Amino acid sequence: MQPKVAVLFGFGINCDHETKAVFELVGATADRIHVNRFIDGDAALETYDILAVPGGFSFGDHLGSGRLMGNRMRYAMRDALQAFVEAGKPIIGICNGFQVLVKTGLLPGPEGSASPDFIQRGSLGLNDSGRYEDRWVTLEFDPESPCIWTKGMTRMECPVRHGEGKYIMPSSDDLDRLASSNQLTVRYVDPDTPVGEGRTDAQLPYPLSPNGSMRNIAGICDSTGLVFGLMPHPEAIYAQWLHPHHTRDGAQPHGAGAMDGWEGEGLQLFRNAVEHVRSNR
Amino acid sequence: MPMTRVEVTPRQGEGMRDVRGDVVRRQLAADHNVNVPEVRSVYGFLVNGETPSETIAERMNDLFADPIIEQGAVNTILLTTEMFSGTPDAVITVGFKPGVTDNPGKAAKDGFTTLFPEDTDATVATYQTYAFYGLSAEIDVHWLAGTLHNNLIQRALIADKAACEQQVWPALDYPTPPEQVFIAPQPMDLECDDASLEEISVNGLLALNVEEMQAIQAHYRDDTIRASREAVGIVPNAPTDVELECLAQTWSEHCKHKIFASKIHHIDHETGEDTVIDSLFKTHIMTPTHDMQNDVDWLLSVFHDNSGVIAWDDTWSICMKAETHNSPSALDPYGGAMTGIVGVNRDIMGTGLGARPIANTDVFCFGPPNWEGDLPDNLFHPSRVLRGVHAGVRVGGNESGIPTVNGAIVFDDRYIGKPLVYCGTVGIMPRTLQDGRPSHIKTPLAGDIVYMVGGRVGYDGIHGATFSSLELTEESPSSAVQIGDPITQKKMLDMILEARDEGLITCITDNGAGGLSSSIGEMAEYTNGCEIDLAQVPLKQAGLSPWEILVSESQERMTVAVKPEDQATFEALADLHEVEATAVATFTSTGMFHVRYDETTVAYLPIEFLHDGVPQLQLESEWTPPTQPLFQPPSTADHSTLLTEMLQRPNIASKETWVRQYDHEVIAQTAIKPFVGVKRDGPGDAGVIAPIHGDPHGIVISCGIAPRYSDIDAGAMAAAAIDEAVRNAVCVGLDVDKMAGLDNFCWPDPIESVKTPDGRFKLAQLVRANRELERVCRAYRLPCVSGKDSMKNDYGSGPDKISIPPTLLFSLFGDHPDVRFSATSDFKRAGDRIYLVGTSHQELGASEIAYMLSERGEAEGIGGEVPQLLDPASNLNTYRQLSTAIHKGFVKTAHDCSEGGIAVALAEMCIGGRIGAEVDIDGTGTGDVWGRLWGESLGRIIVAVPEANESDFLALMKGHPTTILGTVTDASDLIITDGEDHLLKSDVERMAEAWKGTLDMTGGVA
Repeated sequence: MQPKVAVLFGFGINCDHETKAVFELVGATADRIHVNRFIDGDAALETYDILAVPGGFSFGDHLGSGRLMGNRMRYAMRDALQAFVEAGKPIIGICNGFQVLVKTGLLPGPEGSASPDFIQRGSLGLNDSGRYEDRWVTLEFDPESPCIWTKGMTRMECPVRHGEGKYIMPSSDDLDRLASSNQLTVRYVDPDTPVGEGRTDAQLPYPLSPNGSMRNIAGICDSTGLVFGLMPHPEAIYAQWLHPHHTRDGAQPHGAGAMDGWEGEGLQLFRNAVEHVRSNR
Repeated sequence: MPMTRVEVTPRQGEGMRDVRGDVVRRQLAADHNVNVPEVRSVYGFLVNGETPSETIAERMNDLFADPIIEQGAVNTILLTTEMFSGTPDAVITVGFKPGVTDNPGKAAKDGFTTLFPEDTDATVATYQTYAFYGLSAEIDVHWLAGTLHNNLIQRALIADKAACEQQVWPALDYPTPPEQVFIAPQPMDLECDDASLEEISVNGLLALNVEEMQAIQAHYRDDTIRASREAVGIVPNAPTDVELECLAQTWSEHCKHKIFASKIHHIDHETGEDTVIDSLFKTHIMTPTHDMQNDVDWLLSVFHDNSGVIAWDDTWSICMKAETHNSPSALDPYGGAMTGIVGVNRDIMGTGLGARPIANTDVFCFGPPNWEGDLPDNLFHPSRVLRGVHAGVRVGGNESGIPTVNGAIVFDDRYIGKPLVYCGTVGIMPRTLQDGRPSHIKTPLAGDIVYMVGGRVGYDGIHGATFSSLELTEESPSSAVQIGDPITQKKMLDMILEARDEGLITCITDNGAGGLSSSIGEMAEYTNGCEIDLAQVPLKQAGLSPWEILVSESQERMTVAVKPEDQATFEALADLHEVEATAVATFTSTGMFHVRYDETTVAYLPIEFLHDGVPQLQLESEWTPPTQPLFQPPSTADHSTLLTEMLQRPNIASKETWVRQYDHEVIAQTAIKPFVGVKRDGPGDAGVIAPIHGDPHGIVISCGIAPRYSDIDAGAMAAAAIDEAVRNAVCVGLDVDKMAGLDNFCWPDPIESVKTPDGRFKLAQLVRANRELERVCRAYRLPCVSGKDSMKNDYGSGPDKISIPPTLLFSLFGDHPDVRFSATSDFKRAGDRIYLVGTSHQELGASEIAYMLSERGEAEGIGGEVPQLLDPASNLNTYRQLSTAIHKGFVKTAHDCSEGGIAVALAEMCIGGRIGAEVDIDGTGTGDVWGRLWGESLGRIIVAVPEANESDFLALMKGHPTTILGTVTDASDLIITDGEDHLLKSDVERMAEAWKGTLDMTGGVA
């Protein structure tokens, strides 16, 4: 049976269509489910294998991005989310979804425990530039990370599209702790560095780091590696024709299928989660 | 109700910043050269509710303050706490005026309800406080406050240096809206002479002329009408205020396009022509499109709906609409522009049975951002207009989840008087719904129930349509200004698309200009009648009078009709999405627009009179070509320096700072983005999207605009705009055999009057523009499927009057067979061969180089030959061949030649590729060096072809003007020669720096 993905939408989430599409492209079935359907009991989270919280502007980002949506989930879906995580089911939050997961406390989550306590430990603040920007960045993944979403991935280019993506924790001890458990899964890197050697704790200048994130953090996972969130948009490079350079170095010639030779680097991330669900059945 | 004040400020500490304060600091430096060492910010919330302050304080970090990066306090001005050490030199607090949309406040109220569900009537208002440290004593704090707020919609409190030293801090109170007084409908006596009729129109802001007032007067003198009115118990022999307002809205220039529908007596002193044109719209726009509709099967719906619809493939149809929001944007750039973009999104939602908006376009015309001259009263500095308009469109588009894929920003001094804010949206819908109905056809029946969906009706937005049909004056009403609420609209969009797919919608349209009177009034034409009960309409505040409810243009509302048996399902869907949906009317077949307030009939107008009763305008038009001092370039020039200076011109300079703040990639479909090339900072010619995930079938979206050509001939201006839109689209790989256009005319008032003595000339400009539009569109087989006009773009009167240059924005959307075979403007590889497709002529009139040199006093004027489109039919064939070369993969590099001619186009191609080129412009056309290097002749595209594809390319282009220009090189310079003559040499990084500097305006990131 195909893994089933719940893609949340409503209240200003706006990447729900493409998030559903990328899961389907890697062999899952995906439903766009309005948040209120879970809250009203009209749909049951437990019937799904994967939960995706897509990007967008839930509640207009007012009072801090992701906060109001985070509260709705924290208060009205707490038990269902707790059970979902404890059952070892993967969750991803992208952009606004990442902000939601951080503000519900699901990321980074309690140290060394698979049971969420819904305590907020980090935050995402306004970009140092003060501007919302859509620009492409280069990312590198921690090969030692327990994150099931990023297995085998090294470097990827994809867009960021946010005004509040600066990852912040109260002290460097907090960041050290996450680093030691390889939860700093993905960072902004300088594309001129050799592949695999880009990750650094030293602050990269704007726009290599688009937001001034501490230690150039682009995304983190919880201690189990099942819950993962990131500011950049991997779904936005599901096909190479979405890469800004495809007229410069796109694949030629074309195969029979539209995606043959044109699969984008971002798709692997979603395939990893779907494969994880399949292999753990 | 008790009020609780919550104040929040960013924490200080390593790695923490007060970004809101930083932004204010940087903008003061960038716009005014005022340097303030430190600005700190406070976000304030005023909670009006039953929940005790202590309870709110306990939960402060759950809602108002982020526990990691913020700190706050309840019922405490933070400036009095240890969070703020040191004495600021000025403190300014800004909040909204009562009744103005406060989106953060609305969101806070929603979040408050999550925490305190029992406090149902609580409301929240917000404000922001800025504390300035190290402010120079020379800075006037009132001026400073003026840069931070717009007093039409916001209020500010100030603590100056003395107040700061005495620790007297400003504290805004809750903005309680004034009580609205309900006024029962009044009869409006029209039994008076013409002068009094005119007075009634002027005093009531009705914007109706004497003939129109007479037509209304005559209606109420008709005995049959009087008898029918008597029967329903409404005043028989005079209109009610509700009716008069309703007619004024429906008959406004904004809604009825009276100038485009007028009968024009046109005299051309150049040719001796003396003729009568019965409706520019029918003659030059509608008829050509209907003729083309006979030849193709993909024109599904043109002109009559909220946007034009074409079949894209067997499964999907696509539609597009563009609107202007000029007057509101002049008064409040932020709110005016935001309502512009979310408003045109609703036109897409209201097309057919509902389409999904998938791409936005934004084109702005402003005064120069570096303007140093005088500003007339009540006008904002162009840089402020730019910032405000941009922010409004950014927030409106981004929060709605619709990518902004194409646009332009144009500068001219005259747009100081009235900025132009064009917003466009492309939509998509399944060709047929699951119940078998074609989605582009509305299917209402008498008996269907009409819902108002989304936002509520308020005092904001009364008289928008009539106001925009008047010129801007000091007395322009502030109630015409609104702020959009994208999240309310997004929720409504989600809900409406589900309702459409479930087959619940029989008819839908948006509430824009004219409010319910227009939306229900227009839909009632389908069934020939409706009955509205205004008492059912949910209000933002009690006390609105019936006429206000009927014509208010409050935002975020759609009008949707459903069958009676579907009401429960429809309402349940609205509940799920937390969208308000209220049944307010029923369709009938009585022939009447029947409006009640409870049981009392307050308006009773025949549908036919409402929609067709407006008398046709009779206008005079007279053409004498304007005389412009001739542009004669200097005999010698340093073209390298000129190139740098041209790249810095606001009209040519990179708009990246601004465009990058739009989300141009949401929906994961944008295959050609606004910026291209190695460093993703070269100009994109047109947007390309592939909206069906996994399928590379694409849509091209482009635009053309050339307002300054109107200084010589508005006809040439129109032709240039259309050709530019087509060229831009061809450059990325448009299929020229499936393209459709939108004409958006923005004109100064072209009706001769005391205020407009040159009205005949301005109308003649409109005639010429329309004639060229028809000629070029017929030749290009390019049907106009939708359009709009805005005809009163003037400021002031007498010698100080500012009229915009007549401006046509031509937007284009068309088919792209496979986005994997596209081209972009950036040079790709050394060795690629550069060609000019098209021919240069000696056409420097109204060119950017002419403007630059004449502004600097190095040339006498801008006059001369303006670019002409002599043989569009042959251009089309050339474009088709070039598109084929792109689709076959021979060409990956193509760039449109427009402002600044070949020199600027080549510079931009080098910047995009961060690579050099050697070019010889000998043999590219008939002009002299200036004409061939800087001239803006139409029909030209520069392409680069890998050597391996050169012969295939040339074979395809055989018989079409295609001239070798040179080669892309590994060097870092662009070198241009004219045969033996060296013209210019310019380093690519230096060109990039010049091109990107002018409009950066960020003040850096420090």
